[in-house]
Order: sequence, then structure tokens, then C-alpha cells
Amino acid sequence: MTAEPYAAAAGLVERSAAAYAAAVPDHPRDDGFFGPASVTWRVASDLSAPVAGLRSLLMQALHPLAMAGVDQHSDWRRDPVGRLAATSAYEAIVTFGDRASATRVAERVRAIHIRVQGVDTVTGQPYAAGDPALLLWVHAALVDSGLAAGRLFGTPLADADADAYVREMTIAAELLGVPHEIIPASVAELERYFADVRPELRCTPAAAESMSYLLDPPGLDSDIAELWQDIRDASIATLPDWAIQEYGYPAPAPVTAERRNEIRQALGVLDAVFLGEPGVLEARQRIALRARSAGKA
Amino acid sequence: MAALSAASIAGLVVARRRVGSLRMERGMTALRLAARGGARYASNAPRLFATAGEHRQQLRNDLALQTAEDVATTLGTMKGVLMKMGQMASYVDDGLTPAARRTLSRLQDSVPPMSPELAAQVVTEELGLPPEQAFATWDLVPIAAASIGQVHRAITLDGRAVAVKVQYPGIAETIEADLGNVALLRRMLKITAPSQDVDALLAELRERITEELDYRAEARNQQLFARYYEGHPTIHVPGIVEELSTRRLVTSDLADGARFAELASWSQAERDLAGETIYRFVFRSLYEMHAFNGDPHPGNYLFHGGGRVTFLDFGLVKHFTDDELRPLVEMVRHLCVENDPSAFRAAMVEAGFLRPDTPLPTDMIIEHMALFYDTVRERGPRTMTGEYASAVSRRFFDFRSPLAAYAAIPRSYVILQRINLGLFALLGELSATADWRCIAEEIWPFVHGPACTPMGAAEATWRAARRDAGHAGRAVR
Repeated sequence: MTAEPYAAAAGLVERSAAAYAAAVPDHPRDDGFFGPASVTWRVASDLSAPVAGLRSLLMQALHPLAMAGVDQHSDWRRDPVGRLAATSAYEAIVTFGDRASATRVAERVRAIHIRVQGVDTVTGQPYAAGDPALLLWVHAALVDSGLAAGRLFGTPLADADADAYVREMTIAAELLGVPHEIIPASVAELERYFADVRPELRCTPAAAESMSYLLDPPGLDSDIAELWQDIRDASIATLPDWAIQEYGYPAPAPVTAERRNEIRQALGVLDAVFLGEPGVLEARQRIALRARSAGKA
Repeated sequence: MAALSAASIAGLVVARRRVGSLRMERGMTALRLAARGGARYASNAPRLFATAGEHRQQLRNDLALQTAEDVATTLGTMKGVLMKMGQMASYVDDGLTPAARRTLSRLQDSVPPMSPELAAQVVTEELGLPPEQAFATWDLVPIAAASIGQVHRAITLDGRAVAVKVQYPGIAETIEADLGNVALLRRMLKITAPSQDVDALLAELRERITEELDYRAEARNQQLFARYYEGHPTIHVPGIVEELSTRRLVTSDLADGARFAELASWSQAERDLAGETIYRFVFRSLYEMHAFNGDPHPGNYLFHGGGRVTFLDFGLVKHFTDDELRPLVEMVRHLCVENDPSAFRAAMVEAGFLRPDTPLPTDMIIEHMALFYDTVRERGPRTMTGEYASAVSRRFFDFRSPLAAYAAIPRSYVILQRINLGLFALLGELSATADWRCIAEEIWPFVHGPACTPMGAAEATWRAARRDAGHAGRAVR
């Protein structure tokens, strides 16, 4: 395992914003795999999205083989900000891009996955990034995080919409090569999946190191660092108890109405900063216009 | 009244902080944050009562807000508050990074306008009648964005062409809710100010922003200025239609004219005249009305040639009491007319600018303060420059000088920084030349000098007519 130290997180907002602005298409050929009327678009545009994103990473890292793949193969340590920006750009293209664009970026990721193989030094198990079981874990953690973050800090979904979100998102896993029949397609199935996979999950040293970096990234602008504390606390507060115990984090204080508002305000400020970056407002407007024309149709 | 609070924040910081430039620098991150985030939100220059079609801002009507819920989504969770703080931060010269300044300077109206239906709904709620009944003509499409509203052209039932500023529905409640939940704001401000000041800052912030949410204060102030300057040869303030102005509506006479940016192509003689009018407006208002319009934003003027200027936006007006104004007048008098340094120093102490026990020689104090009076200490034509404006602005908040340990800017005077940031910067941009001292002597209540320009003569005629008509301008004793 490499012991290379992590690079500073300077430019996190700027680079994420640039990636996002470039990922939201100008003239999509079709509505993509979700479309303006989808629950997925709502979840992706929710104020709680940054919390969902950080929680996803916290969850995903708890699978030792998924974590080993990231730790041993990606340029995660050398350029963590670039990696995060690329990940959010990928999500934005799959969500808002047309079908051809989404398929193209997914194929590119699948091609990279072919090369990502190895042996996890903690469990001694071999892994392959293209393994549907690992891809399914990463997918389930993402979907579950969208629901959890929205429930606590965003606009909570009605039960039927939550089911619709899980169902809609199955295509995202399929694009990466997960067989349709093993992908949870409802909240109940998602919960069953988590119960089944739980024995495989644990916090490895690589996960602990990665996440302690993410929870307090060095090199952030001081103002962003201040807001990041709220995002971090919010993300931990949305984790299941067992995940908090795996990491050994102190049990988070219950989220009072005041604290929830404070975190939402911090999310609002962060969003405003994000919107201030070049191209982000225009990207948001492109999404809003498509959503609006879909509403009229 | 937004700008006052930011200036007040900065002022309080300076007032309470004796040393510690490091903390001051860090402290600006909160404002920088607000500026960065708020910039895209903050309204643009032609934010008020812009008029003719050619000035029409590009409003994203295709993204129009359709419900009060849309307003809450767009401007809630601090965005409305940030927008206001961004405006304030834009008035605090120091501490903003060039990047923040750039962002602020290309402010875009990223908040979509209201749909015609939503704007009509506000008018109906405010006036009890839909706009097509409350007005003879109502333009469905807004002509300009305001920070928390938009401006529609209309013609009243009795035929007045007016500009109607309509506030976003629910924006007041949304902003008040965010201001009521102070945990995050407290943390943002804690970086700026010592902990004992945070609650005072919060109170100030809430008070100022809340004031701005009620358009009635703005309408009252504008009407006050409109009445005072009625018939003035070069100063024009659009009158308010009181019966069509409410908490969320301001209806004023429609005005048209050239924008500040267009002045660049005008002759220097025209620019000098415009500068003279703005200068007269600021100091006549201060000395005679005891009022200061603290929003000397370039977007708040319309120019008509021959020095005639229309003044817009009275959302930030500070009214001085006699007690507040007297020491300021004394300071000018002792420094510029009587040339009495120790009396000047005593007036500074009386105003609260200087601690009584300050162990510094009067010479040093004079040397520090003289810069503020530089344009009026001597007779003769003088050209305003951007460098002078910057120097004055820097010195106002200069806490590194030896004087800083003993100096303070009392809250009621913080707004005067707007003279530095607004008036002098504006005149500097115009490269306006005039005998400012001579004009000041016309206006100073302790001199009442004779007219020294043709505009001064015209103004004297107006003042005489005004007196005959029984208007009593408030005079400073």
C-alpha cells in the first residue's frame, strides 16, 4: 500500500464547480435516463446534496475491497480534489446528460475498472473494481445517502417518491455493469440489501485515513473550512449507528430543529458560494429551464 | 439600509479593536464569504426605477418565480440574507479581495423575476385591487430587478407615469426566519468581531436588514427628499405616490436619463457640472435636512445634462439628531475656518471620535484627520481623483496608525464612510473639478457664503423662493 500523503484540498469548490458546470449539457439530445420529471433530478438538486455526497463516501469506504481499490489504484492521494470533482462530474453527466453522454462516461469508467484489480492487504482477499458486488455496494451507498441526507437536512421524499428514486437509480448501476436483477428497486429492497452486506463491512486503516482527511481537509479556504464543519457533522449525523461505531466516531448529538436550521443555512451559504463560481448559475438555469418545460408539457 | 450595517460592523470592529491586524484580516473572511456568495445574488446597478427600454435589464422571464414557495426556495436558507450582506460588503472598501470585488462589480441578477401573475398577486394583496384596476396601465414585464423585488412601469388612474417597485412575496418572512436563527451568523461574525460584540453586531444586522424589508421607510425618506428639493434647478428626486406605496410597494414618478456609465462619453464640462450637483446634494441634505442618503451607488443617478441629476433609491437614509450633527459641524468649522486645532480636538472628543485621555499631541491628530478635509481647506479649483477617494477610505478604517488606539467611530457616524466610498469615489471617477471649498462655504451654516458658481446662483434663487413659500429648512445652530 502506498503511504503517499494526501495533497491539500485547495480549490475544492472551484474545481467541483467547474466540473459541474461543464457536465450539465447545453443541448442534450434527449432527456437522458431520468428526465426533468424524475425524483432523481429533485434529489440531485436538493440543498442536502453535499451532505449526501460526503455521506456516500463515508459509507462506500466501509467496504474493505472497495476502499482498497481506491487506495491502491486511483490518484486519490495525489489529487483528491481532482478525484472528487471528477466523481461529481460523472454523477452530473449520468443524471442530467443525454443517454449517449451517460453511456459514454459509464463505458469509460468500466474500461478503467478493468485495470483496477489487486489484493486487499487487510483482508487478504483479491478484488476487482468491475466486480458487480462491489459496484452494487457503491451504488447502494450512494442511493441510501441521497435518501438519508434529504430526510434529515433537505426536502424529505414521500414514501412513494423514495421508492421511485431507488427504482429510477437502478439504471445508474446497470450502466456500470451490475445485473439488473440484483439491484434493489425499492426502499424495502435497499434495506434488505444493507442487512445482507453488513457482515462484509468494516473500517480498514485506509478507510479511517481517507475519511479523516475528508472530514477535515487541509488547505481549504478558511471560510469554506468553517462551512465544511457543518457538512461533516451533518454527514455523520445521517450515518447509521453501526457505521459511526465502525469509524469510532463519538455518537453525534441529536439534531435539534435549531441545529438543523443552522446546517441548512450553512448548506445555503455553500450553495451561494458554489453559484458564484463561473458557469454554475448558467448550468442551474439550464436544468431549471428543462424542468420547467417538462412541467408544461 | 443595508450598507449602514456593514459599515457599522466594520466600524464597530475598528472601534473596539485596539490592535491586532491579524484578526482584522481574518475577520474579513466572513464579509468576503458574504460578498462572494452574495455577489451573484446582489442586485445590479440599475436596480431602481430604471426607466426607458434601452436600460432594460436582461431579466430571465423564462425562469420567473411563480409562487411564494419559489421565492423561499430561491432566497431562503441564507441566500436573501447573503444578498443583503453582499451589498453591505460591497460598501466596505477594505478587506474585499480583488476576486470578490470583480465578482461584485459584475453583479448579475441571478434571482429570476416574478412571473406577471405573482407580481400581480403582490399588488392585489397590497392595494386590494389587481394591478389592471389599481392602475390605468400596468406593464406586465418588469423593467428592472431590485434586490428583493422588481420594478414595473405603470400609469396611475389619474395619469401619472410611475415606477412601481414590487417586493417578492414571502421574502420578508424568509429573511426574518434566517435572521431569527442566529447560530451560523454568530459564527460568521465571531471571526469578525470579539465575542462581546457579536450580539451587538447581530442586532445591528437584523435591524438594518429588517428595515430594508419594509418599503414604507424608503417611501417616507424619498418623499422627504422630493419635497425638500422641489423646484431645485439641478437636483431632482422623483415624488412618491403615497396612496400606492405600502410595505411591499413603492410607487414613484417615472424618471429617465443617462446612466452613470454614459457620462464617460460626455464632455468634461458636463461631468464637472454633474459632480457639482451631486456634491451640493450630499452636503445640502446633510447640513439642512440633517439627512444623509447613504447609497451613493452609481446606479442611483440619472443624468440629464446641464448638471441636472435625478437621485434614486432612498433605501438607506440616515437622519442625524442635532446632537449628532453639532460636533461634526464644529470640527469643520474649527479646522477649516477658524483654524483652531485644540477646539477641533475638543470637538472630536465630544463626537466620540477620540478618547478624552488620548496622550498624543494635537499636531499628530490634525495631521491624521486633515486628509478628510483636504478638498475644503483651501480655496481654488481642484480635481477629484480616485487616488484621493481611496486614501480617504483607507484612513477612515486605518487602525494601524498611532491614533487608532484612541480613536473610534461611533455608530451613528459610521455611515459617513459612505461619503468617502460613495461621493469621493464617484467624483473621482468623473474627474470632477470645482472650487469645492467655495461651494462648501455656500452650504456651511456657519459661513453662508455667497454663490460662487452659476449653479450656486440658481440654487440661491431657489432657496429664496423656497423661503418665501414658507419652507423652513432646518438650520444647524
